[in-house]
Amino acid sequence: MANKSPSQPGIYKQTLLAGLWRENPVFRLLLGMCPTLAVTAAVKPALTMGLCVIFVLLCSNIVVCLIRNLLKPHLRILMFTLTIATFVTIADLFLKAFAARMSETLGPYVPLIIVNCIIICRAEACASKNGLFVSIVDALGMGLGFTLTLCILAGIREVLATGRIFEVAIMPDAFVPWAAMSMPVGAFITLGLLLGLVNIISKKKN
Amino acid sequence: MENQKSVVSKVEQSKIKYFIQQSWLLIVASFCFGLLIAIASVTLSPRIERNKTSKIDGLMASLLPDARRFQPAAELQIKSPKGKEMKSKIYKAISGAGEQIGWAFSCQGPGFQDKIELVVAVDKSFEKFAGFAVLASNETPGFGDRIKLPYYRNQFAKAPADKLHLVKAGNPGKIDSEIVAISGATVSSRAVVDIINNSLTQVKEQMQAKGLIGNGK
Repeated sequence: MANKSPSQPGIYKQTLLAGLWRENPVFRLLLGMCPTLAVTAAVKPALTMGLCVIFVLLCSNIVVCLIRNLLKPHLRILMFTLTIATFVTIADLFLKAFAARMSETLGPYVPLIIVNCIIICRAEACASKNGLFVSIVDALGMGLGFTLTLCILAGIREVLATGRIFEVAIMPDAFVPWAAMSMPVGAFITLGLLLGLVNIISKKKN
Repeated sequence: MENQKSVVSKVEQSKIKYFIQQSWLLIVASFCFGLLIAIASVTLSPRIERNKTSKIDGLMASLLPDARRFQPAAELQIKSPKGKEMKSKIYKAISGAGEQIGWAFSCQGPGFQDKIELVVAVDKSFEKFAGFAVLASNETPGFGDRIKLPYYRNQFAKAPADKLHLVKAGNPGKIDSEIVAISGATVSSRAVVDIINNSLTQVKEQMQAKGLIGNGK
């Protein structure tokens, strides 16, 4: 990502929308595949994971942006990792305190946000090269794009695996749940089909 | 000679200066982030502890369903095989009629990739297990975390409260001191058996010393 000048017209809107579609972390950049496949068996854990990623992405982008002029090139990855690990630890502690059951459901995937490529990618590609507001908007756009993608994937899987969404039955009584959709195989198949669909839409648009 | 010494000291000084020039940001950031985590931990840990206590109560109730309340009986020290000391609380399980029906305690030890914390329940004479439940673990999803499943856990219910042995093949329906490992998760299965073996012996000894259970039992 090139440096973005805040005076450029529509820069904030462009940055925000890039995360949602043009540079969507899951569908277009294929980043953060581990949580995408692992926590999308139901919408609630997917949404929680998305919110955690938004928090970490926002905080790390703000910190990296503020210290960008002080960063030594050979120590920058170390600084990014240190920053990300701090906010992931805080998010993990917060979940354990206020959403203990959800923290258990997500298990090791919350601490694993530290190695989620989206966060370090945005720190390197955007926050370390742009101003504070662009970095914040980029974090929100990418975070929302990631969360929406996870929720779409989880929504499809949860409905097909249980016939319910947010504990509400939405499928007819005759519907036979597809147990495979709640298993890893369901995650791969759904993600593959959605990636294909996104590619078709992109080609038609172009 | 003195000239040489001053040259060496200047080189040393410039090395330290270079090190500080290069890494001051990392040092300051590590300090600030450490402080931030410490504040978050101090603020949130009472709530996390409360959550953990209520979870222990729930797990104990699931292992000893006839118990109406759990009364803390003693604080014990359990040594890990590596010599690290850990605190454990033992609870007396009391039925609705006011009779003691068993004991429950928490214990921990190394798992496949992180520590595993368990709640173990035994009958009142410490002769048979009532079972175990996983309080916290970060075992591999789909593999090691199957230690939470009934297939593995049911083997402990009513097994003799003595040294358990892990076997790779056998009949998991047979209740004895042999525990059949989960296929594909032998390390986690062994970890649970080792944690229980290590803690049970020490809990028994300390309870006998405190007079909470009879000697030889």
